[in-house]
Amino acid sequence: MSLYFYLFFAVVGLFLLLFAWSMRKGRKPGSLPADAGNTEEYGRGHVAHLPQVRQALAVADFEYLSLKAPRTLARRVRQERRRVALAFLSAVREDFQGLLRLAKIIAVLSPEVAAVQEFERLRLTIKFAWRYELLRMQLRAGLAPLPRLDALSDFVSSISVRMETAMKELGERAALAAELASSLHGSGGDVT
Amino acid sequence: MADIATYLKALWGVSVLLKWGLLGLLLIRKHYQVFPFFFIYVLLTALQSPVLFASYRMWGFDTPMSGNLAWGTQGLVVAARGLAVAEICRRILGMCRGIWALASRLLLATAGLVLVYSWAVARPHWQAAVLNCDRGLELAIAGVLALVFLFARYYEIEVEPAARYLAVGLFLYSCISVVNNSVLEKWMWDYARQWNVLRTSAFDATLLLWIWALREELPETVSKPAMLPGGAYRQLAPEFNVRLKALNEHLGKFWLVEAKKD
Repeated sequence: MSLYFYLFFAVVGLFLLLFAWSMRKGRKPGSLPADAGNTEEYGRGHVAHLPQVRQALAVADFEYLSLKAPRTLARRVRQERRRVALAFLSAVREDFQGLLRLAKIIAVLSPEVAAVQEFERLRLTIKFAWRYELLRMQLRAGLAPLPRLDALSDFVSSISVRMETAMKELGERAALAAELASSLHGSGGDVT
Repeated sequence: MADIATYLKALWGVSVLLKWGLLGLLLIRKHYQVFPFFFIYVLLTALQSPVLFASYRMWGFDTPMSGNLAWGTQGLVVAARGLAVAEICRRILGMCRGIWALASRLLLATAGLVLVYSWAVARPHWQAAVLNCDRGLELAIAGVLALVFLFARYYEIEVEPAARYLAVGLFLYSCISVVNNSVLEKWMWDYARQWNVLRTSAFDATLLLWIWALREELPETVSKPAMLPGGAYRQLAPEFNVRLKALNEHLGKFWLVEAKKD
């Protein structure tokens, strides 16, 4: 009895937490990324900076610098590289969120949705958020060494190419969804 | 004890005034067209007061007849409350047909699960049966409303202020009722007067919130967005998930590189 008695309080507490979290003011509902309508550019923003990212993460540069430059400079470069890695992670997250938002808009505008697809997307979102936060915290705290730079560089290349291909494939359809979404949110303040 | 009794009487008086005030507002602003079940719910709560008052005068406060009538009318009110909640859920998510179809199934399942849980852990005494039933329904209402707002947040669906405040009132009152009923079940009679004070205070606060939420006119219907063709989702949703999965895998590889280095 006692355990069940306290469980009621726990369940109510959980509901209160969930309710409060979902009532928080977030991004303007349904607003799309600024470049969502322009699918040529969308997802390519990070590709455009690939040469600079590669340069910033080049192994040879850092090794040379470690040998020739003073320690303070090497440390500063290391910090800069960490900053680049963090910025890159953030860019990957932007890509993920952009795709996720388009997927949600399509679900909202569809007369029927499949529970399997929606739960799969939710699972992927949770997994991504978990991994992202873990990596970001490790990098920030300096607990994790910077990733092997060639691996990171390959990672950047492969993901950029795949994203570019994906965006081209989805471009026209995403544009349609963005158009519909903007018409939805332009249709009046009473749209819930 | 005498102080509590006086305070409780005052609260009941305020409660009656607020109920009829809200009912008047619903009629004057024609909100019954927008929220018909909510209107029925408020009407029933407003009618419950004179019925109970008459029964207490006729049969006395602590008689079985008054008790049965009180819990019987409460059953009706809670059922109407459930319908009002369903109506608000539909108002929030109903314009997105696909999402609403998915959400309504989940909401029903959640309500069912919570009711089964409440029933399973309830005291096996017939005296507490009505109390347990009331608590189960209130817990189900709280769970359903929490889930609806999670859906709205996840899909970034804007909730109109009136529906939002009605839902907040229903949700908070349900949570307070669950906690209150649980405490009452444990310390039954020692707590009865305090239970009444808390419940009535919470309901008065909720009534005030609803009156504030419904002070202005509301659009009868929400405008519905143009839907995509049926096949678009079937074609696009798996593709998007594949892309999201690919991004996830890449991040996983990144993480593995880190782990190997460690």
